[in-house]
Amino acid sequence: MANEILQIKKLYALSSENRKFNFSLPLKHTIRIGKRNYEVKLKSDEKYGTYILWKNRKYPVEIISSRQNKYEILFNDISYTFTVETPFSLQRMKVLNSKKGKVEKEFIKAPMPGKIIDVLVREGSTVLLGEPLVILEAMKMQNEILSPVNGVIVKVSAKANTNVMKDDLLVEIKL
Amino acid sequence: MKIKRILIANRGEIAVRIMKTARMMNIETVAVKTAVEPNAMYLSSADVIYDNTKNISEIPVFLDIEKLIAIALKTNANAVHPGYGFLAENAYFAQKCIDNKIIFIGPSPDAIYKMGNKTIARKIALSGGIPMAMGSEGNISNEEEAVVIAEKIGYPVIIKASSGGGGRGMRIVRKSEEMEKMFIIASKEAEKAFNDPLVFIEKYIENPKHIEFQILGDTKGNVIHLGERECSIQRKHQKLLEEAPSCALDEKLRKTMGTMAVQIAKAVNYHSAGTVEFLLDSDKNFYFMEMNTRIQVEHPVTEIITGIDLIEQQIRIANDEELKYRQEDIKLKGWAIECRINAEDVQAGFAPDPGKIENLSMPSGPCIRVDTGVQAGSSIVTSYDSMIAKLIVKGRNRKEAIKNCKMALDKVWIKGTKTTLPFFRMLVRHQKFLDGNFTTAFIEKDLDKYYFNSEYEEMLAAWLATKLFVEENLNDDSINIDFKHGKDMSPWLLNKRINQF
Repeated sequence: MANEILQIKKLYALSSENRKFNFSLPLKHTIRIGKRNYEVKLKSDEKYGTYILWKNRKYPVEIISSRQNKYEILFNDISYTFTVETPFSLQRMKVLNSKKGKVEKEFIKAPMPGKIIDVLVREGSTVLLGEPLVILEAMKMQNEILSPVNGVIVKVSAKANTNVMKDDLLVEIKL
Repeated sequence: MKIKRILIANRGEIAVRIMKTARMMNIETVAVKTAVEPNAMYLSSADVIYDNTKNISEIPVFLDIEKLIAIALKTNANAVHPGYGFLAENAYFAQKCIDNKIIFIGPSPDAIYKMGNKTIARKIALSGGIPMAMGSEGNISNEEEAVVIAEKIGYPVIIKASSGGGGRGMRIVRKSEEMEKMFIIASKEAEKAFNDPLVFIEKYIENPKHIEFQILGDTKGNVIHLGERECSIQRKHQKLLEEAPSCALDEKLRKTMGTMAVQIAKAVNYHSAGTVEFLLDSDKNFYFMEMNTRIQVEHPVTEIITGIDLIEQQIRIANDEELKYRQEDIKLKGWAIECRINAEDVQAGFAPDPGKIENLSMPSGPCIRVDTGVQAGSSIVTSYDSMIAKLIVKGRNRKEAIKNCKMALDKVWIKGTKTTLPFFRMLVRHQKFLDGNFTTAFIEKDLDKYYFNSEYEEMLAAWLATKLFVEENLNDDSINIDFKHGKDMSPWLLNKRINQF
């Protein structure tokens, strides 16, 4: 890849809730709040693991996943997902998004590993938003998996009294 | 002291807690080592460890009555403490201990049975004139009967499992059209969870506070209460934060409810520590809900405001000693709050997030108590509950306790799993919580966000994501992107890389 093509001066971190954070390159180890710059330090030691030191306070950080330009980060026990975009990719994304069609199917996956206690829907049944689909027991708790949409069940993969892993497909709903 | 050596029929923080008091009383303890948690922290508190790691039974040893009795006999333990959960409220287990001349540190099998069966408990409370939500006289045999009774009581109603407890097997019904379906679901659930399909119906009290009274009774017939705990901060009937006392009670109401709680305990000749749970509505009417015949998870908040060690009292009572406190000796001093720090993902609707605790550091200080059964390197396993630690904080009054709690929460450091910490950080800043203006519906109705983050935290996280992107994609000397390196890299490798700079 030729050097002269991509001279990047800025990067954008887009949160899953569509908030945009701008960072100019080369990336500084300071963050400006009002008129002051505060130093950000990324550190690691035996006792605390990896952490960020900012304004005299340690914040625990962990990288949960990283796929291409998408990062899930646990910061002070809260998870954030960002995609990091260059000015070019951001522009391209905007174009793509405007062309993207509507979602037609909703795939309901197991949010955690556990045991299916009961399946409350059948193929062909109509479900409303908030209606329980499956009862999943995990760590002594029975959890109702609720429908996030109004629609019709087109496939039921969950079976009562079987164990599932996280992200196993349970139910498919057609909108 | 007759009790010389106690078998702890439990694990985790409650095992550690019981052993701490036993040691103070010069009583030896036996802990059971299991294959699931062979390096668990509670093992290091015990005088004797019984190795059960070779046992490959399907059911956990803490639910295996025959096995536990055998272990007690083999290790010469002459008493058993069941802790909470597992067999703590199993009348048959208590009876089996007695049959084998082992002291059961808890109430009589008869009291456990009567209070454990919700329809019998209702009848006892009813005949004692204890206020209760309107309900069916006994169990409901079919959905037709359920509809008739619910019409009589008036919707909304709640279907509860007769043998249930701990918030499981309940269904709220708001319309008669839903009754048939809900009745079948509730009954099915009850059968699966408690091996007993019987259910009954009660008027559902909307938006109540959950207030419970700590009871102590001895084998001589003395029963006192140690004031109340407020446990309204709960989700799906699972308590998250408890405090003592409750800002909803004044001295007069405390006395009335406390007297009723003592009366219920006396009706079943209760001895040991127990808890009488009530619902309190917005007009300060209270209704008996159930009695828990065990030590509760949230017992520390009562210990803090009364200065009484409840485990010690349980052991002394089991030893047939007379209570040395009378009701007038009990003075509530200060305020205590307990946060249950669980391995749960608050952002994913409190889904359990089991895993290995990589780093753990808990605050300490004169107003802080931490009850935990895990340390750095421990794992939160899927076989058991998701508890990591109980952070218990006190203050001279509620305001101070909350302030201390807020500071303590910022000093808790847990890495390896997601935790309920962000939830508590939000809670101690929420106006309704600060005002004491909350009910059991608080989490479902009053919250639009389950966690707290300061305005800069997301920006710092964004900075870190950008930093990673730069490290992975840009050369050091130039700022040119190499898209060919847009690859999947394992978080492990990434973490290693981060550690390098």
